[in-house]
Amino acid sequence: MMATPAAPGLSVSRVVFISLGLMLVGLLAAPVAWTGAPTSEAPVTGDWLINHMLSDPEQLNPLTSNDAGASSLLGYIFEALLQRDPRTLELRPHLAIARPEISEDKLEYTFKIRPDAHFQDGRPLTGEDVLFSIKAIKCPLVNAPFQRVYYESIVDAQLLDPLTIRFKAKEPYFLNENVLGGMDVLPRHYYDPEDLLKGVTVTELAGDYAKHEESVRKFAQQFNQNFSRNPMGSGPYKFKSWSTGQEVVLERDPNYWGNGRAGIDQVYIDVRKSRVINNMDAALVNLKAGNLDMMGLQPLQHLRQTSGARFEKDYEKYIYSTPSYTYIGWNIANPIFQDMRVRQAMTYLTNREQMVKTILFDLGQVVDGPIYRFRPEYDEGLYSHPFDPQKALALLGEAGWRDTDGDGILDKELDGQRTPFRFEIKFNSGNDIRKGVALALQDELRKHGIDANVRALDWTIFLDEVRNHKFDAVILGWAMSVTEPDAYQVWHSSQVENKGSNMISYKNPRVDAILEEYRQTFDATKRIELYREFQRILNVEQPYTFLFIQKAVTVVSRRFQGVEVLPIGRMRPLDWWVPKARQKYTAQLTP
Amino acid sequence: MIAYLVQRLLLMIPTFVGITLIAFSIIHLAPGDPAELRAGGGLGAGAEGGLSTERRGAVDRALQEWRALYGLDKPLHMQYLIWLKNLFTLDFGLSFKDSQPVWGKIVERLPATIKLNVLSTALVYLVAIPLGVYSATYQYSFGDQLTTFAAFVLFALPSFWVGTMAIVFLGGGDFYYWFPPGGLQSVNYSPAWPWWQRLVDQAWHLCLPVLMLSYGGFAGLSRFMRSSMLENLRQDFVLVARSKGLAERVVIYKHVLRNSLIPIVTIMASIIPGLVGGSIIIETLFSIPGIGQLSYEAVLARDYPIIMAVFTIGSVLTLLSILLSDLLLSVVDPRIAFSRRAV
Repeated sequence: MMATPAAPGLSVSRVVFISLGLMLVGLLAAPVAWTGAPTSEAPVTGDWLINHMLSDPEQLNPLTSNDAGASSLLGYIFEALLQRDPRTLELRPHLAIARPEISEDKLEYTFKIRPDAHFQDGRPLTGEDVLFSIKAIKCPLVNAPFQRVYYESIVDAQLLDPLTIRFKAKEPYFLNENVLGGMDVLPRHYYDPEDLLKGVTVTELAGDYAKHEESVRKFAQQFNQNFSRNPMGSGPYKFKSWSTGQEVVLERDPNYWGNGRAGIDQVYIDVRKSRVINNMDAALVNLKAGNLDMMGLQPLQHLRQTSGARFEKDYEKYIYSTPSYTYIGWNIANPIFQDMRVRQAMTYLTNREQMVKTILFDLGQVVDGPIYRFRPEYDEGLYSHPFDPQKALALLGEAGWRDTDGDGILDKELDGQRTPFRFEIKFNSGNDIRKGVALALQDELRKHGIDANVRALDWTIFLDEVRNHKFDAVILGWAMSVTEPDAYQVWHSSQVENKGSNMISYKNPRVDAILEEYRQTFDATKRIELYREFQRILNVEQPYTFLFIQKAVTVVSRRFQGVEVLPIGRMRPLDWWVPKARQKYTAQLTP
Repeated sequence: MIAYLVQRLLLMIPTFVGITLIAFSIIHLAPGDPAELRAGGGLGAGAEGGLSTERRGAVDRALQEWRALYGLDKPLHMQYLIWLKNLFTLDFGLSFKDSQPVWGKIVERLPATIKLNVLSTALVYLVAIPLGVYSATYQYSFGDQLTTFAAFVLFALPSFWVGTMAIVFLGGGDFYYWFPPGGLQSVNYSPAWPWWQRLVDQAWHLCLPVLMLSYGGFAGLSRFMRSSMLENLRQDFVLVARSKGLAERVVIYKHVLRNSLIPIVTIMASIIPGLVGGSIIIETLFSIPGIGQLSYEAVLARDYPIIMAVFTIGSVLTLLSILLSDLLLSVVDPRIAFSRRAV
């Protein structure tokens, strides 16, 4: 229900580090309304949903929090001007009456706010709150530097009347609407009770606010410190309590403004409890003991510990793709990997199907490009490189790699020097999947006279080496956008320097041109065409060996109705419900 | 006595500065920048996972701001002096994670850790001391060998494994539901319950963790007790007592046991720092929000203020407990006087 404009950064929690490494769980999708699987009964309110969390959220301030755990909870408490349809992913109005009016030059976005929305304390939601929200994000002293970067291009915002707001952007960019529409609207009277930002404009906050130094400083200090554990918004769930290391409790707001309104998602579950259980084995036992209603499973738990009539009577498992992929990045600045044929050979030598089977226990799927397969931009016609050592050796021979000195390792003259085919594969320690990939590849390469060293590095050191291009090959992951992708930062040649995300130093003028044109193209069909060409270029050049996407397994108690996996591959517990007869818990809601 | 105490307390100051200085340097010099970690190194941010260099510039500026906010932009020795200065007012600073006062975060987690540790320490002493006494009085008997063997088997079993087995078999999964599989209170716990129900709920939740935390300690302490008893049994006064015709029960429990407890009393003081230092393994296994978890997460996230605070409290308590041990020794053993040692 929250249309998060762009994933606000990587969670610092160790859970994400360990299990996903560099990958970020894509938050971009806005799970939105759908009334659930066909059933004869009408949904009723009541009961609790007890979900599993591996660790506490860092904090529950929608701007300063920076982790996935928090954002899934905040999604129930805060709302934005627009949201995404959960099935079509199309933008649709939520707190706004309609999608924004966009000016001819694509720089001005005017939103009209609906008059009937109010916050959880009953105060009406107006343009003043929207204006305050953008000010809070733009305020340089608010501890939200990583959210702020997504609003870099927004340079001004003005209220035309109490319910109309106009934003101004620096440059035309088709995702601006998405960014603005996805901004959480915070109650001004709650987060800035003294109205300290009243006289300060967005332009000043984006540039020079020296005139208001004192009030801005005071506001930021209060905002950073006083709102970590007491969020309040306009959404259907109110924050109830948080016992550190134990649980976070949200409660349905019986006075939610959207209750009974057409076009607004209705919610039924009375209490949403997220229990912190740091240990996956204990979590599964908790589930079986009936202390949890929902949890994600590890592959082995899925294969070995969750079957049998007793389990299936009470629980159902849902398997779906997660929008992020793992890849091997070849450092193109390294003379060995400059040659496209060598990179193609490496992909032919990577047995990806086998890896999915043995490393992921079949919970995955081979990918051939960076675009999520459910996106219209995805190119169905990409060539999927099979495991083919013969072809690989032919390509390497063509590129001039042979064993001339008889030491069992291929070599070639590079810059006037005989260089053996020897390199290092780096990944972050603690990530068993990446370790499995590295070892399998190393083993295969050895058979063909290529000496690959495998090295696991502590996360922080790994980050530093990767950003500074200190690697030959690296195993990493990227989140895939389930909404309109923008691959500029990863593939544009301008992103090599200054620790940009083009770590492998990939440079291709045609790709640069496509990426630039794409960002300024407001016609969706044209954008799709551009990105299909982009994928085909990557498919040939193989700057990455794209490996696979993983599948997640989630268990949900059978007493919940309306549970399904959306076509984009995710679950959305917002509108689940339990028939009266099967309800397990009761709660007294606070009005 | 007073002079000795003052002298010992004064001596603690340089030791304390030395300890914290080393700790401070190690923590800050260890690789990993907390600011970069927050930004996910620029690798995780962004819809597509990437971060453009334009934005990278903005993030770098933001990181600079963030470092300034926490004083991380100053030279290391200045940071240490500022930290030390704040310490005098018991101000441990703000956590990097959520800008909340460190002291509050520690106090919040103390009750769980103290409960767990007090109970398990009590359990260790209650079991190990009688066990040691028994082993010594029946030295080399079958019972002695059996209990010694059992204690060492327990000592050798890693708690993460036993704990996991206990959760899987006794926690209500596919087997028995005797104990809750973690946490501190039931799912439907309500503060409105009568006090006895809340107490029972809590006790029920603490059973497994306390047991897991204790069983490894039986071996060490019971062996300690055993050898201390044996040593005393060989003393001349035992011979005298026996030849006076005292009952064996009186000899053992009145004369030997008392004297053998002296070293036990003194090591009791060293438990104090352990009471607030959490157990990472047990706390993680049973999802108990204690100090162990807090410090472990702080280390991973390079949350310097928390790491330093936990470390400082631990070292102060250790220093104090060493002093307390020495004082206790003179209480239980009048032959030891301070005036002579203090010279």
